[in-house]
Amino acid sequence: MKKVLTSLDEAARLVRDGDLVTTGGATFHRAPMEFVRELVRQGKKNLSLVDREPAMDFDLLIGAGCVAKIRAGMLAFEGLGLAPNFRKKSEAREIITKEGACQPIIAGFRAAAMGLPSLPVKGMLGSDLLDISEEIGGYKQVEDPFTGEKMIAVRAIQPDLAVIHVQKADEYGNVRIEGPVYEDVIKAKAAKTVVVTAEELIPNSEFRKMPEATTLPHFIVDAVVEAPKGAYPCSCFNYYDVDYDHIKEYLRVAAKGQLKGYLDKYVYWGKTDE
Amino acid sequence: MSTGGKLMNNDIEMPDLMIYAMASEIKNFETVLHGVSSPLPVLAMSVARKTHAPDMAYISGAEGVDPEVDRVYPSSFDARMNRNAVGYFGLHEAFDLAQRGELNVMFLGAAQIDRYGNTNLSVIGDIDQPKVQLPGGAASAFLMPITPKVVIWITRHSKRVFVDEVDFVTGQGYNNRAEAYKKNELVVISSLGVMNFKNSDRVMQIQSYHPGHTLDEIKENTGFDLLVAPDVAETPAPSKEVIDLIHNVDTDGVRWTEFR
Repeated sequence: MKKVLTSLDEAARLVRDGDLVTTGGATFHRAPMEFVRELVRQGKKNLSLVDREPAMDFDLLIGAGCVAKIRAGMLAFEGLGLAPNFRKKSEAREIITKEGACQPIIAGFRAAAMGLPSLPVKGMLGSDLLDISEEIGGYKQVEDPFTGEKMIAVRAIQPDLAVIHVQKADEYGNVRIEGPVYEDVIKAKAAKTVVVTAEELIPNSEFRKMPEATTLPHFIVDAVVEAPKGAYPCSCFNYYDVDYDHIKEYLRVAAKGQLKGYLDKYVYWGKTDE
Repeated sequence: MSTGGKLMNNDIEMPDLMIYAMASEIKNFETVLHGVSSPLPVLAMSVARKTHAPDMAYISGAEGVDPEVDRVYPSSFDARMNRNAVGYFGLHEAFDLAQRGELNVMFLGAAQIDRYGNTNLSVIGDIDQPKVQLPGGAASAFLMPITPKVVIWITRHSKRVFVDEVDFVTGQGYNNRAEAYKKNELVVISSLGVMNFKNSDRVMQIQSYHPGHTLDEIKENTGFDLLVAPDVAETPAPSKEVIDLIHNVDTDGVRWTEFR
């Protein structure tokens, strides 16, 4: 096993401008927020982001000017409101939005994880989403060779990088996710490079005591970063809940077009030299 | 919370009425899933299981199976709503279940809906030049045609939502479905009534009007001609027991979010 423990700064340098990136978790849960903040600090540009149902992680990157393209099943702040920067920049055509749907996006990840060029899904036929996705070569109608059933083949989605925030990892990249896993295992297998940020580093011997609790084995993971509170203000199961008040504050400042103040306070910690 | 305002003239609050109508769409032993931004579905599933559907399989958007929900949160994926779950079942696994035809009921939203049941959650205006960028349909385009029963909930029944033609077809109505999927049921539960498509043309009809509301009121607030089911009736109101179940679980009043 190779040691892959590194710093947040080094791990974020694995993301290059223009990369296709996906994040672990779902909406406000186990989103890799500390890594996202580091991407903002490093001034990444022209990222393409893809996920089933992201929320603040994507919206913050969009608001900070790091994003060129979005592909998601839904991007909103659940009951708290619409995603302010996503909405604003999509309506202004400052970002390209290609809406997907949950299962096809997962199917794209699954295809990449399985080393297949595409994977078919049911449903989808008759939706206008097919038209916009055909433009980017994401979906194609196919017939099953055995039954003739019409389905939609989803082209493999192979992110350049997946970043996943987890509860526990060791210095070699063995990972233990507690509670809901979402599509994190699929995403990790799909991506070319996998960065894990972890609440806690635990000894390799702990993994060996209970191997069935290992979510990802080390050879899937390229970099591990110790990042306590790394999902904040989103939740990390067994560690902390969502800080809904913080997210509401983000929505308030974003609605007023005052995201810079938020970034200064929570992302640059007042250290911005711009 | 704005719970002081009764939305109806017979003292039953609108969320309670809608939640009860949604719960009534679930039969015992069915497998039911809720998705994102879904406080009303969460409460409807919770009520159904505690009343007429004790043996239903409950899959939460937070991946918990048969959780005992004792509080509702602004995020429907909040893992605190997995309390006492028997296990985890990922959303992708639930979607596989739908492909096998074994997911019986799903609840979905809509910013616009037309007479055929096409829903729009994508954009207002043109897709390439949207006036309003909506959040996206999530699982709609995948689940709408293939799921045996889809319940669309709409908290504001108005001509802005019930439109002659949707700006974008996110979820497929009956005119955009393959023949095999036309048998699947679509039910629309709004702040004024319950609508379905149980007629030969597969177009929207009023099945029931909520207490305190009328057929005319529903028609006046709809942007296309609605049929009326031959057996149209008043929507059954929830009992005090059901209302207590809702209020005891949702002590924070998250159910009101979509009504504000």
